[in-house]
Amino acid sequence: MRQRRLLVQVGVAALLIGLLALLVNNLAVNLIRTGLGLGFGWLGRPAGFALAETALPYAPSDSYLWALTIGWLNSLKVIAAGLVLATGLGVAAGAARSSNNRLLRSLAAGYVALIRQVPLLLQLLFWYFVAFLGLPSVPIGGLIRLSNQGIQLLGLNLSVEFCAVLVGLTVFTGASIAEIVRGGINAVPRGQWEAFRSLGLGEGLGLRRIVLPQALPAILPALTSQYLNLAKNSTLAIAVGYADLYAVSDTTITQTGRAIEGFLLLLLSFLLLNLLISGGMAAFNRAVLGRLNRSR
Amino acid sequence: MNRWLDRGITLLLLALLGWAGWSILHWLLVGADWSVVTTNLPLYAVGSFPADQRWRPLLWMAALITLTLLTLTGPKRGWVRRWLPLVWIAMAPLGLWLLAGGLGLLPVGTRSWGGLTLTLLLTGGSGALALPLGILLALGRRSELPVLRWSSAAYIELMRAVPLIAVLFFGQLLIPLFLPPGLEINRVLRAVVAFALFAAAYIAEDVRGGLQAIPPTQREAAAVLGLSPRQVLQLVVLPQALRVALPSLTNQAVGLLQNTSLMAILGLVELLGISRSLLANPAFIGRYLEVYLWLAAVYWLACSAMALLARHLEVQLDPARSAS
Repeated sequence: MRQRRLLVQVGVAALLIGLLALLVNNLAVNLIRTGLGLGFGWLGRPAGFALAETALPYAPSDSYLWALTIGWLNSLKVIAAGLVLATGLGVAAGAARSSNNRLLRSLAAGYVALIRQVPLLLQLLFWYFVAFLGLPSVPIGGLIRLSNQGIQLLGLNLSVEFCAVLVGLTVFTGASIAEIVRGGINAVPRGQWEAFRSLGLGEGLGLRRIVLPQALPAILPALTSQYLNLAKNSTLAIAVGYADLYAVSDTTITQTGRAIEGFLLLLLSFLLLNLLISGGMAAFNRAVLGRLNRSR
Repeated sequence: MNRWLDRGITLLLLALLGWAGWSILHWLLVGADWSVVTTNLPLYAVGSFPADQRWRPLLWMAALITLTLLTLTGPKRGWVRRWLPLVWIAMAPLGLWLLAGGLGLLPVGTRSWGGLTLTLLLTGGSGALALPLGILLALGRRSELPVLRWSSAAYIELMRAVPLIAVLFFGQLLIPLFLPPGLEINRVLRAVVAFALFAAAYIAEDVRGGLQAIPPTQREAAAVLGLSPRQVLQLVVLPQALRVALPSLTNQAVGLLQNTSLMAILGLVELLGISRSLLANPAFIGRYLEVYLWLAAVYWLACSAMALLARHLEVQLDPARSAS
């Protein structure tokens, strides 16, 4: 029996290595045929393309590596803002679904049902071409100014592309988070609601101080995977012309033809992003569980 | 105080809804021009399929709709029920034959495939490939053999870390690089393979969740009855695990259908892609809202139909129901 298990493993390993070797061999043949070879020397060469949105100083004469870094920062910007806003919207919509107000409840349910059955890419195109490019120029109270050139918010200048991606990601992910929050709230025993009501606490205060903290352990793991989804979905920004990491990688690969190296860099950057998000969430999770345990 | 707050919220929401309803009504009556949809219905349905051959994709979609309605209305006759699963499975090769031609039909290149037909074919084709691959990966990840376990886990985690658009883009770019020179596979097939490789990693995790939900006593009981390990898996563990995993698999299927829209970025003219080329046509310039609303309605219907079918399957497979 043990011998058979060993044999099966050796067989599987041989099969995998053989398959890999065949693929690598084909790759080598194709690379020789196209005369490209593998290497990362091209990263230092000037990129030659302009970027519409840069967090740090950038010029087309800068290197590909710097252009990719700028793209990564742009991705990070929209992801970080999206995480915060989507969490706010999702918690609000999820809590609204267990509200006493019937109109609010059905509105939240309608929002979730509509948004989750329509592709995100279509929603992004809608926000960009219809909602933001169709904006008339309207100043609101002097501090905010909306127009189809961008949005000025307290001296902060946001591009239309950034706003479209941010709103699209927020609305789409918010619907998924709302479902998670609703599930978490439903998992809290009804007795807890009755208890805080009989103590004379208001609905909002009870939800914030009694129900949501107890729902958190059930919510957090699923929330982490939604955050990772948001980060991955941010790559659809290319459809509206926002210069995120994927869009810059795409241009770089088209210019240099370095598909394999470009893919490896993209993979690495996303592993880093995922580690950042799941690491942060794990720390938060530990803190929440620790606080809950102490308070018992 | 609380009641006043409640009334305030209701009034505010009513005002907002009224304003939104009024603006939409105004736009529908005054601003909207639906000619971009009505004059291009064949394009949305079948893409640039040759006009005299359009009956083939249309026939396939009509068959799909009929089958969906037939399944949902739940015929009481036993033989219809017995044959329905087989007919569903036959739809994929039937669609492929009707679209590609051959065997007595005029061959049509994949370049002319498009519209809703291509969307459905991409969904069906990649789903059919991804499900068995995902089940194998899930079994591999739970295997007692370390080599199998590690390689499955590595594949799943790596695939789940990358965005789909990157997988699709590099599928179009890299699959030719990894194949022997001279062997070419076309764009639609490359897209289906890339979709399937991506979706399999997610399906594997859902199936693994189902496998974990099956108590070990089931395995032991089956083994005591004298079933071989393969029979235990095939007859006892997998059917139950798949039933448990069905709701999350449904979500994956709906997600797969929605994600086929990403191929529009890479230049396939499926439902969203054909709309992008229509919007580039000077005759329909600026008609974004009409097109997007129409597309949202089509996607919404297709996704809802899929979710309904899966819900139907869930009820059918519920042991409490079949026992009674």
